[in-house]
Amino acid sequence: MGKYEGDPEWDDVVPIPQDDGEGALAQIAYTDEYAEAMGYLRAVMAAKEHSERVLDLTEHIISMNAAHYTVWLYRASTIFALNADVEQELSWVNDVALDNQKNYQIWHHRQLLVDHLYPSISSDPNAIRKFAESEVDFMTQMFDEDAKNYHVWSYRQYLVRKLNLFTEAELKSIETLLRIDVRNNSAWSHRFYVVFSDPKYSTPGSHATEYDPKIPDEIIDREIEFSKAATFEAPQNQSPWNYLRGVLRKGGRKLSSQECFAGEFVKIPENGEEDIRSSHALDFLADVWAEEGKVEKADEALRLLGDKYDRIRKNYWDWRRGTLKEEGITKGLAKVELAH
Amino acid sequence: MTFVVKGQKDRHRVVFKRRAMASLGARGASSSASNLVDSALHGNTRLQPSSAEASAQAGDEVVDSIFRPPIFPTMSARTARASMVPDLFTSLPPIRDLLNTQSSQIQEETIQECLPFLSGLEPGATYNDHGVPHLERNRHIQFLHKSLKKLPAPYVAADASRPWMFYWALAGLSTLGEDISQYREPLISTVRPIQNATGGFGGGNGQMSHLAPTYGIVLALAIVGGEEALDLIDRRAMWKWLAALKQPDGGFQVCVGGEEDIRGAYCAAVIITLLDLPVELPRDSPAWSGEGATLLTGLAEWVRRCQTFEGGFSGLPDAEAHGAYAFCALACLCILGDPHVMIPKYIDVPRLISWLSARQYAPEAGFSGRTNKLVDGCYSHWVGGCWPILEACLDGPSRILAVGASPRAATHSVGSLYSREGLIRYILCCCQDRTKRGGLRDKPSHSSDSYHTCYVLAGLSSAQHKWHFNTAETKTEMGGNLASPYQWTCEPFDGEVQIYNEEDRVGTLHPVFVIPEGAAEQTRAYFASKGGF
Repeated sequence: MGKYEGDPEWDDVVPIPQDDGEGALAQIAYTDEYAEAMGYLRAVMAAKEHSERVLDLTEHIISMNAAHYTVWLYRASTIFALNADVEQELSWVNDVALDNQKNYQIWHHRQLLVDHLYPSISSDPNAIRKFAESEVDFMTQMFDEDAKNYHVWSYRQYLVRKLNLFTEAELKSIETLLRIDVRNNSAWSHRFYVVFSDPKYSTPGSHATEYDPKIPDEIIDREIEFSKAATFEAPQNQSPWNYLRGVLRKGGRKLSSQECFAGEFVKIPENGEEDIRSSHALDFLADVWAEEGKVEKADEALRLLGDKYDRIRKNYWDWRRGTLKEEGITKGLAKVELAH
Repeated sequence: MTFVVKGQKDRHRVVFKRRAMASLGARGASSSASNLVDSALHGNTRLQPSSAEASAQAGDEVVDSIFRPPIFPTMSARTARASMVPDLFTSLPPIRDLLNTQSSQIQEETIQECLPFLSGLEPGATYNDHGVPHLERNRHIQFLHKSLKKLPAPYVAADASRPWMFYWALAGLSTLGEDISQYREPLISTVRPIQNATGGFGGGNGQMSHLAPTYGIVLALAIVGGEEALDLIDRRAMWKWLAALKQPDGGFQVCVGGEEDIRGAYCAAVIITLLDLPVELPRDSPAWSGEGATLLTGLAEWVRRCQTFEGGFSGLPDAEAHGAYAFCALACLCILGDPHVMIPKYIDVPRLISWLSARQYAPEAGFSGRTNKLVDGCYSHWVGGCWPILEACLDGPSRILAVGASPRAATHSVGSLYSREGLIRYILCCCQDRTKRGGLRDKPSHSSDSYHTCYVLAGLSSAQHKWHFNTAETKTEMGGNLASPYQWTCEPFDGEVQIYNEEDRVGTLHPVFVIPEGAAEQTRAYFASKGGF
């Protein structure tokens, strides 16, 4: 006899069996335990029942299959209907999340909980700070397992937005992760968001790839220095190079403003062998030189990338060489036209 | 340590090397005989991964052998195989930092894991003249057939995503040239109880409708085709459900009360165009903003918000650039309009191409999904599938000059922007489970599954073909809303040395819908012919 079938508390419910259709494809041979619990879930959902026992039932199903979005959503609606303790739910969700690293649904569930909880703490800065700290602590635990977990980071961005965590503490917490692994691109991405979407100074709705005139110069300078310091640790790490380009774009600054810095990693003498310590520096310089109209130098940098330092991307580098020439011709023609 | 890297000239020498090897082969060290040599030399013991230094040295020995007649007629099989593979795929990257972190450590391990496979050192395998193994077509076919049979209890974790398995298996089997008509009837009876009266399909019977399984089921039905299959979709209910998912900011939730992300945007666009649904928004939609509001209002702008400072796309605004989402973004834009119009209008193309190109690593030669993450076979599609779209965007529309003639690019084609050879090597060398089990995988240390089998094959297909986006003549034939994605045609790609055997060419998959060429066109034409629900 099944768990629910023999339980007097569930006497009033007639489970609804699963209709898989005839000769169903990829039919799963459920355990009796799972099949029974799902039968009861279908029945309570059909009756739109939101009760304590539904919380027990959904917890039971989630322990067998945490990737069940229907169960999670029904559980959330039950919690809200019952006005159940959200903080208690959060701490239970923590355990489920630690056991199910790759799960999508948990993080959306968590957002629904926080959305629900927020109005009750929104007027109390202390409560918000306390809550933010405990959330960050939990995420740190998750990052110990996988510091690049996409769902955790997406949740983190949500939390920063929701609780207005565009703070020094948030930046420090990212720096801690980068000190452990300077190649953690998720941390770099998060930093970009926290710095350039800060409502204190950024233009609302400014796209990540566009110039935002409202970002103060000192912020741009600080971020340039931050990416440079990281680059010196490991020049072939692409994350800070991408970050630097992103910062310069946001600040409306030319790449050529960083020519000297990129030049630290690239020595191309007139005669003799070049010394390249970062292919990303060479890529950066190719753009700097194109920007400055030094087409031949830029072309040589791209040639070196395609033939020597990043050969798997040769087609890409060759395409860049082609666009360089097209631009060169267009510029040349423009000059000819001006001359006439 | 750093390696002396040889320049482009080596590339030509490699080709020359192959000829040298062919003549060597006549004396008894041909690749077909290498199996025997291998077992004679190594018995049945599994070869330890060779260090990159050893492979690099092996390559050098062979370079020498071109200039000097071989002294030993039976050179080691190991050297013979390594010689067929360009050193790009057998040696460590030319620039490596000393600083060791977790990211660099697992990257290093992955290189070491892949090198023996790329170097032609997999025990018991046979290689062609380019050091590439065959596609184990029959084993992969059997693997996918099996994935549609009854699954054991641990698959309960897939209970809410099971419809994906129908799509992965059917798309994969079609790509491998298998007749899938036997699945039409069972698919129809399987998905009927998964549809909800309120529109859309869930992960299984009694589950809430969700865009991901709905996408999988609509595509699976389009693959098997036929009136009965297509007619089981309740299009009116689907339209109402999509309207309930549409958000005021332009995007789509994946299910009512669920998250809003770029999968939702792509899946919704696919469903609207394939089923030829009206785009008008009913007044009870959460996104209704007045007369003229449609299911598509603000969708392209929403997609644009997902482009990150790196140039790639995130799953939702402000997150990290990720390969799977780049495909969703580009394919979504190519449903909303023509690639050469929509893509430059909404996204920063040079940054995107730069980021996308940086996803291909050497020596592994496959794609990674994010900066400083590892290569994974599934990105053969998610990243690899972006290239036909971007190449079409840069080429501009082609014109079909005569019926049956190949399309001509309006201007000179940009050609390939990535290394097709590299991707094909990673797929055939590293992603195949060549044991009886069959199927394709993330990387050699991982087990095959139907998800990877489908998307690795999709990547192989796009690397083996060249797609054209054609001028609007076909659009007028199609008519109606969102007709752009029906203007694609393709031909075998013949732009470089073909490193795989012709019998290992797989079928074509539509660059936007990722189902066999023609299936999307037929599905759309069928619904368009109905006129209304």
